Amino acid sequence: MTVFDARSDAASAPPASPPVIMLADVMKSYAMGSEVVHAVRHVDLRVDRGEFVAIVGASGSGKSTLMSITGCLDFPTSGHYSLEGVNIRDLDDRALSRIRNTRIGFVFQGFNLIPRMSALQNVELPLVYGGIPHRERRQRAVAALTLVGLANRLDHWPNELSGGQQQRVAVARAIGTNPALILADEPTGALDTTSSLELMALFHELHAHGRTIVMITHEHDIAAFASRVVELRDGSIISDRRQEPTSVGA
Amino acid sequence: MFRLLDSVRMALRGIGSNWLRTLLTMLGVLIGVASVIVLLAIGTGSSQSIQNSIQSLGTNTLTVFSAGQFSSSGPQIRFNQLNAQSITLLSNRENAPDVKSVSPVISTSVTATNGTLTYTTSVIGSTPSYLAASNYTVSAGRAITSADVAAHAQVVDLGASAASGLFSVGSNPLGQQITLGNAQFTVVGLLAAKGSSGLSNADAVAIAPYTAVEDQLTGESTSFSELLIQGRSASTLSLAQGEVESILAAQNDTTVASLPFTVLNQASLISTATSSAKTFTTLLGWVAAVSLLVGAIGVMNIMLVTVTERTREIGIRKAIGARKLIVLFQFLVESVVISFLGGVIGAAAGIGVSHFTIAGVKPVLASYSVPLALGVALGVGVLAGIYPAYRAASLRPVDALRYE
Ligand SMILES: Nc1ncnc2c1ncn2[C@@H]1O[C@H](COP(=O)(O)OP(=O)(O)OP(=O)(O)O)[C@@H](O)[C@H]1O
Ligand SMILES: [Mg+2]
Repeated sequence: MTVFDARSDAASAPPASPPVIMLADVMKSYAMGSEVVHAVRHVDLRVDRGEFVAIVGASGSGKSTLMSITGCLDFPTSGHYSLEGVNIRDLDDRALSRIRNTRIGFVFQGFNLIPRMSALQNVELPLVYGGIPHRERRQRAVAALTLVGLANRLDHWPNELSGGQQQRVAVARAIGTNPALILADEPTGALDTTSSLELMALFHELHAHGRTIVMITHEHDIAAFASRVVELRDGSIISDRRQEPTSVGA
Repeated sequence: MFRLLDSVRMALRGIGSNWLRTLLTMLGVLIGVASVIVLLAIGTGSSQSIQNSIQSLGTNTLTVFSAGQFSSSGPQIRFNQLNAQSITLLSNRENAPDVKSVSPVISTSVTATNGTLTYTTSVIGSTPSYLAASNYTVSAGRAITSADVAAHAQVVDLGASAASGLFSVGSNPLGQQITLGNAQFTVVGLLAAKGSSGLSNADAVAIAPYTAVEDQLTGESTSFSELLIQGRSASTLSLAQGEVESILAAQNDTTVASLPFTVLNQASLISTATSSAKTFTTLLGWVAAVSLLVGAIGVMNIMLVTVTERTREIGIRKAIGARKLIVLFQFLVESVVISFLGGVIGAAAGIGVSHFTIAGVKPVLASYSVPLALGVALGVGVLAGIYPAYRAASLRPVDALRYE
């Protein structure tokens, strides 16, 4: 699975390679009528290559908002964000799309597969947008689906798959482009315990292969799989600690 | 780079996801395109049939009518006449160099009988030149001659319909006697069918010397109600008209402006008819255009609904790397495919329907109408799709992903 192994990249990268995520004094505010809601306030966060970060916090604490910014789906109201040393502010739609396509892989709570496209087609879609030739994108999509254990479900429609399987298709879609960063917003939010554990096993494996993962979660036992836990409250980081990740199957 | 084929395939998948709705949307464009083609075909068909019927009057002809017109000159009212002297004057090479022939026309509708067979014919009493001027050719036997006219001979040339109405299949009408009104006429010639392209059947005629028709059917008269004049060529027809008008004006001691006769110029009749047919066709075209517009609004409506329904999908696509242009293109292609497919089916339907006679008109497919309709269908797809596609493309990914 060398295609999905990020360690080779890390090894060849110069020692002073920029952090994957670099947020400096990031603010995100929404004007709600006369009131201003600060969803994210003065956040400074640095995530380096190969980290597995869990972002926890109560509902409404700004986790998803922070993820939208790090995923280049939205811009901060103020502050500075660079992804792999590239300042996002300076980029146009085309460049941003390219970054989302090649540098970031998203996993959402609601799976967000495109209906009426088979598992394989869903995984191929980012590669289609990336302009990968037909044969190669098929190979990569099949490899990604094999990695998540769905080699025998290539031609199933999303509605023919269980929640856990759909989420694994989503993970396959996220890693198929070999991104620098995997962003997951409550990936286990819609899964039962068994499927959640399977998914965490998968994340653990990706992490072991050197992937950078930022995962949002409510649940502390899910956060326990990460190597670092960042806690948000009212849009600010209130704690940031490293931990020994729980090993799967324990 | 993202390839065209991929986006077309993607658009087709989007269309296939809701077949019934796609079909109903297509129906709007389909009906629009079909009606453009059919209505233009009806317009063209009716204009051609009008032209044909005018052409069947003859080649390069002028028709002078004296439908009982009076003119007042001084105290007494004088009845102006087209008479034998008029014919002599008009046939003068010096005064009327552009006139080829002048034929008197006495027409009356009578029931012709041959034994038990009867047929309502229009009997035309004239001179031999009438046949050439009105485009009749003799297919069997002979034409009436000047000698027949001089001899008041009761001979007749039968039009194709009249002949088949009066004689059973297989029998030879030549030399047979038929009864026109109360008089016996001998069939000396048969006329080739001209086709009943006009409003009246040009093949239901019986052409006889005018002298005999006057003797036997209409009664002797010193005047004719109508003269058929053939010009030398189409280009000199208006010159011929001028000559005819001034000769008749001189004969009747009046001016051309107050000439008591109506002179119909076949060429100007055709151009008038053609221009009014054009107006008619244009009108029909606009009616069809309105129905296409309705179809276009339907496409746009459905595209807007589709974009709203698939907001989340658009968010996903953007999150995984679809740039604005690609999203725009995807929905635009979808709209164009719906319209164009509707257009193609509509064109086929329109061509099919144009094979039937509609409201008495045999439609004639205008050569430009199919490419026009298909081009318009394409345009409709682009115009109806551009705004919805633009809406989809400019959705912000965060907002689109949050959409429930
Ligand atoms: N588009 C928006 N317009 C206005 N307010 C917003 C918008 N998006 C987020 N917010 C507000 O920002 C705050 C943070 O929202 P966010 O979705 O980031 O929270 P969260 O931590 O992801 O919560 P949850 O755990 O429930 O998903 C909330 O108070 C929310 O109401
Ligand atoms: Mg959230």
